Amino acid sequence: MIKEKWKFDIGSSLLSPPIICDLTNTGHHSILTATKDGKVFLLDFEGNEKWVFDAKEHVDTTESMFFDSESANSILSTPQICDITGNKRKEVIFGTEMGVVYALDAYGHPLWKFHAGGSVRGALAVGDVNGDGQQEIIFGSGDKHLYILNTNGRLIRKIEVGCKIESTPETMGDKIIFGCDDGTIRCINYEGHELWRFETDAKVIAKPVITRFTEGGTIHILIGSMDHYLYTLDEYGELIWKFKTEGAIYSRVTLADINRDKKLEILFGSCDNNVYALKNTGDKIWSFETGFWVVAPIVINDIDEDGRLEVIACSFDHNIYILDARGNYVLDYVPGLAGVMQQTGSYSDVMTSDPGKITAKKLWQFQTDGVVVGCEYTKEGKNIIVNTRRGIISNLGHVRGD
Amino acid sequence: MVEQIERVKTYIQGFDEAMQGGIPKGHVVLVSGTAGSMKSSICFNIAYNEALAGKNSLYISLEQSTDSLYQHLENMNIDLEKIHLVSLKDLAKIDEVVRSVKNSTKGSIIVVDIGCIRKEIKDVKVGDNKSWMNVIKNIVKKIKMETPCSLFVLDSLSALYTLSSFENPRVELFYIFEFLRDTGLTTYLISEMPLDGSKYSEYEIEDFLADGIILLKLTPFRRNIIREISIVKMRATKCNNDVFSLEFKNGKFNALYGGQNPLL
Repeated sequence: MIKEKWKFDIGSSLLSPPIICDLTNTGHHSILTATKDGKVFLLDFEGNEKWVFDAKEHVDTTESMFFDSESANSILSTPQICDITGNKRKEVIFGTEMGVVYALDAYGHPLWKFHAGGSVRGALAVGDVNGDGQQEIIFGSGDKHLYILNTNGRLIRKIEVGCKIESTPETMGDKIIFGCDDGTIRCINYEGHELWRFETDAKVIAKPVITRFTEGGTIHILIGSMDHYLYTLDEYGELIWKFKTEGAIYSRVTLADINRDKKLEILFGSCDNNVYALKNTGDKIWSFETGFWVVAPIVINDIDEDGRLEVIACSFDHNIYILDARGNYVLDYVPGLAGVMQQTGSYSDVMTSDPGKITAKKLWQFQTDGVVVGCEYTKEGKNIIVNTRRGIISNLGHVRGD
Repeated sequence: MVEQIERVKTYIQGFDEAMQGGIPKGHVVLVSGTAGSMKSSICFNIAYNEALAGKNSLYISLEQSTDSLYQHLENMNIDLEKIHLVSLKDLAKIDEVVRSVKNSTKGSIIVVDIGCIRKEIKDVKVGDNKSWMNVIKNIVKKIKMETPCSLFVLDSLSALYTLSSFENPRVELFYIFEFLRDTGLTTYLISEMPLDGSKYSEYEIEDFLADGIILLKLTPFRRNIIREISIVKMRATKCNNDVFSLEFKNGKFNALYGGQNPLL
């Protein structure tokens, strides 16, 4: 069963999942999370605060009146962790609703900040997009531009894209792939030239996930849209397949070999309340219905150490669901052969079709005290760290027995 | 026992009587009419009479300047000296305005001149996270939180649509109406109607979201124009939906001849 080890009230709404990290490379992991009132917290695994950084920007009375006072300081996406200084410690980078991008050192001290022309709602991507051997920081903004900064926070490129960007970009060599509020998925190069665009019917705010399902095979770009579809495109922006759900898809897919067939499967949540597991061909393996929207990315790990993977899904119905990743084979009703043969008609479908189907199997469920915006799992200590919109961080763990 | 609903008068004699004494407190009401139908005058007159009774109101004018508005009211023989009338033309001075309202012994009307504020502010660029809609919301929130304000007039919704672009009007208007309802202020949203009177509001969703609609019309009759007023809807109220003639005489509004044409 799942039990709560501790919970911590952060004093502000939480809008994104936590991240578990070892910022100082000392082997001690911590929990990093960002809040709606513009703070970044680092907590230890006992729920104690290690440091807090307040990203609240001070603006004069007149300018402050132009912001939505409830969300002006929000940090909407999980901060990114990476070593941008090359000091073998990790830095924390994130953007805010005010349009400020910050880099903090491992101890929560600011290294630099950069002012974009509009809100920065997606997470920041890090990659070497100009082939100079150095990392660049890439993000989209509400001012309809895509920004590329160097690791010192200096602007390298500001690329006009003509629509707001709320998604997190992903890099593929010198190419940057991102979703736009006008419903397009776009690929541009470092120079800012658009290589292709793919049109969906609604805003795209999910992060693209890029993979090859077979060694040397076609590159697959997987990205969900608020038009309810999960799209899989090739590296030229051509549709490989799409999968329809009944709700908007907000977050990135998670890839894992959940059934040990040596192929990656695709897991994601939808605002039709379901968690989906698909084959890499776009065929559904199983789905599991929760009580409300599934917005956060799916987390996969072997949390009960039985050698099998579990799926951790966060729902807006206040619950965390732990599912058996392989699902459960359930036989449909099949009439006895004699019963079939006594009826007139063709029996080929009955004789050849699969007599059952795989359905999701819920192992455990834990009710939190609010809308669950995301979670993260760490093998060390076997902790499931859960963020709720009400501002509570809970540490859950699997306990043997039930 | 049914709880007695507290009501705010429209101060139009004969019209309050047509709706159980006035508009339920906290309602969001659309005051809809064509140009020249006295929408602004009626709304200001409500705030003025509330101020005479010692209450505070917020009046946000998006297009008409305070100078023009005050001139118009003087022409109507409304004695502005009897109340505490304070203009906000610079957002940086909002705290001063709040202080003056708090210190006043008379009921106040805070008139916000957005046109003037726009002229003063040239360096604030509105964008995806900065908007004039936020300015209006923040003024309302601040005045409501820091002064005992009970009434809000937005003049007009139509001007707001010009000032703030709505990507998804149905969703955004829903949240605006919810915001206004949550403030607890009795709110009057002035809505410019097309001359053909084909709809009460720009997106028509406002009609459903509002708790009440008061309709003002100019009706030509022979070589004259008659002003008419009627209640299209008013939630939690038993209404007389007759069309009344609207008259302004001796500093007072009157609703006359319910259901009848006065010139016949």
